[in-house]
Amino acid sequence: MTTSTLNPLRAGLRLPRTPDACALVVFGATGDLTARKLVPALYNLARERLLPGGFSVVGFARRGWSDEQFRAAMKDAVAKFSREPLQDDIWESFARSLHYVSSDFGDMPGYERLGERLKKEDSAHGAGGNRLFYLATPPTAYAEIAHHLGEANLSRSPSGGWARLVVEKPFGRDLESAKKLDQSLGLVFRERQIYRIDHYLGKETVQNILVFRFGNGIFEPIWNRRYVNDVQVSVAETVGVEGRGGYYEESGALRDMVQNHLMQVLALVAMEPVASLHGDGVRDEKAKVFRAMLPVGDVGRATVRAQYRAGAILGQQVPGYREEDGVSPASEIETYVALKLMIENWRWADVPFYLRVGKRLPKRATEVVITFKKPPLQLFREMGGDNIDPAANLLVLRIQPDEGISLRFGAKVPGTRSDVRPVNMDFRYGSSFGVEPPEAYERLLLDAMLGDSTLFTRWDSVEASWELLTPVLDAWLQGASPLRFYDAGTWGPDEARRLVEQDGREWHRM
Amino acid sequence: MAPDVAGIERLEDHEIAVDPPAIEAEFRRIWRDTSGGEDASSIRLRVLNFVAFAHERADIERFERVVRLLPQRHPCRAILALAGPEQETLRAAIAVLCWRPAAGAAHICAEEVRLFGGAGEQQEVASAVLGLLVPELPVVVWLMDRPELGGRMSGELIDTADRLIFDSAGQADGVGTFDRVLRAGQRWELALSDLAWGRLASWRALIAQFFDGEGVKQLSQIQSIEIASGGGSLSSEALLLAGWLVSRLGLSLADLNTSAERIEATLYDRTRGVTLTVARDDDAGAAPLREVRIRTSEATLGVEVHAESAHMHVREQWDDAPARRTVASLPGDDASVIAMALDDYADPAIYAEALGSALALLASPVAGS
Repeated sequence: MTTSTLNPLRAGLRLPRTPDACALVVFGATGDLTARKLVPALYNLARERLLPGGFSVVGFARRGWSDEQFRAAMKDAVAKFSREPLQDDIWESFARSLHYVSSDFGDMPGYERLGERLKKEDSAHGAGGNRLFYLATPPTAYAEIAHHLGEANLSRSPSGGWARLVVEKPFGRDLESAKKLDQSLGLVFRERQIYRIDHYLGKETVQNILVFRFGNGIFEPIWNRRYVNDVQVSVAETVGVEGRGGYYEESGALRDMVQNHLMQVLALVAMEPVASLHGDGVRDEKAKVFRAMLPVGDVGRATVRAQYRAGAILGQQVPGYREEDGVSPASEIETYVALKLMIENWRWADVPFYLRVGKRLPKRATEVVITFKKPPLQLFREMGGDNIDPAANLLVLRIQPDEGISLRFGAKVPGTRSDVRPVNMDFRYGSSFGVEPPEAYERLLLDAMLGDSTLFTRWDSVEASWELLTPVLDAWLQGASPLRFYDAGTWGPDEARRLVEQDGREWHRM
Repeated sequence: MAPDVAGIERLEDHEIAVDPPAIEAEFRRIWRDTSGGEDASSIRLRVLNFVAFAHERADIERFERVVRLLPQRHPCRAILALAGPEQETLRAAIAVLCWRPAAGAAHICAEEVRLFGGAGEQQEVASAVLGLLVPELPVVVWLMDRPELGGRMSGELIDTADRLIFDSAGQADGVGTFDRVLRAGQRWELALSDLAWGRLASWRALIAQFFDGEGVKQLSQIQSIEIASGGGSLSSEALLLAGWLVSRLGLSLADLNTSAERIEATLYDRTRGVTLTVARDDDAGAAPLREVRIRTSEATLGVEVHAESAHMHVREQWDDAPARRTVASLPGDDASVIAMALDDYADPAIYAEALGSALALLASPVAGS
């Protein structure tokens, strides 16, 4: 039974309920993610009346901070990174719920102190024993933290409430390490307690893919192999590694972006309709997409990996990847990946899905492009005119920036001839709604507190995606698809162009 | 939506003949001119027709404040139809409002038409409005002064309208207003958006929050409800909030004592009695509502608005453990409340039931009248 049916005052309100009173424990509370994303998101949720009374945050990290120091640092972070300006009275009210426990992640007494702190929160604010543990730490600490939470009896609520664990990406660095991590977490937490966060899924425009497909009657009938020629998912970044050279040297573009963000977006584009958005329906259908994907096979032919050299971005000279801080001068890590995937099911057989992601590309953009097949008869060819072959219809789902959707179709150029020119019909999210969408982390934190795991990644999807991509990583190690290079400020290596041209297609111009 | 109009440009504000085809032609010319020059990045957006009816000149400025903000969230063709004794001859003016949603982004532009007529020209003004509606888009009608749906001017549009916006606050006769609105909603089967109801959104959400999850048990423990109203008499917002609580909690009226500044009611749910007090509070200032306090057998729960910041204080007192937090309230200006109403397609029955219960609370003769 939902809360809205129990609480008659909820009827007709936008939110069916607010989360239960709970304590959110952030491991890695002095880190960048906490300051830039998590605490600003929590502040905005509190500000906008979406957090319950009895909510508290406990920061957990090595640094020897007091509650007051933690609050002061978080105030600075909110002032700098919040989408809404910091307002003193709201901040003071929110800050009273912030606490801090200083400890190494491997230090058992620290977890005991955390347990005491949580008990205090339960009795002071009626948090009901509900706990959300957020691992904003390097992935190497995940298993250790989970283990100690189990040892300290914190992975189960003491009073019939709930305990959940939020895990940031990357979840493993290949199939074997992902399985090992899953087993480590599984010793302490059940799958339904684990929320693997992929902040792409919290973006309004990613969620809009489902609305666009299943909330409209006109697209789903043509969303299949009969009408779709190919699908491209592209993530272009102008930035380099932004001081995260050490991290990137251990990951690379495939692990950092493809295995999680791109695969999740692809699954939303390719999945079958669900009967209901509640429960596990969406995650079930996404998992089916991954299971239907064919192994990449000829890695040398179906993938391209490359690294940026020095070049110019937006008029500025930028160094090559190997000149970045924390990067080996002989690094073989890819900053660009293009690959082709095939989904062998009734809907998508023979339709190629091209994925590409790269750093130091000419502009920042994330988009999904569905190219439709051309009409069977080029009718206007017989009617004269210079430009008589209409370009294929394109549907572009722009995820960032300038979020929106555009549809390209052919239109007659005014005049006595039958020239056909492609024109775009544009929908821009920001223009039509004029409101700032909430940050992805606001939505995802709220969902985790509400116990709604729809936008979080389930283990079977993670596993299936690593099953698909680990052989690619292995083949690369063995020399298939040698590392290529591209100048910063260009659209990647020529080999990426050839990847689609060999199929008689071309990349959509971003 | 923050009430911020910085960056709004008003283009081509000029008078024109009251002739819908000529007005359409003039808009086409403006679009051709603004998109054909060096800056070819203007986008005309219209997702609805927004028609405001008024009778007083003072409403022009109020309308202008709304159309500087509303199109940023709901791009529209905005039409003001003003017909009243103060007006002289029938005339029209048009303007284009443009803004950039972000630095470097394209200009987004919306259209505005203002129609003015004398008291005897209401029908002409209304017919011009009908001729200016953009086809296939929803029609939202805002009755700026009186929620009278059957007048000569507004009546013609009712069949076309998809949503009717009005403000039950500030009306001379609260009982009459609520009664008219209730009847009109039933007669025309229109979606109704009462701005007074819209201004209660934060209050309703925060009060409902007390009873989420485990708190739901407190619903059957409620002993008293106190509502502190602002205004010269009991505000429409205070009455609607009382009506909402009474209707949602399924309470029946046992005893009622009503005056212009105070309602005291005894309500019951099966065997349980609940006292309800709605009283005018001098400390409320201009705010229509100052505080709501709900006492249960175990806790005292309260929501209060801060007069200066308009932030809301939420208080919970369980045994000896008081807790207080401060949150932002939703903006209460016309444009923001209208924008929220246009976003919200929630169950209209909730409002109708609250209205019905508010009417019941006003039912006893007003003391001194």
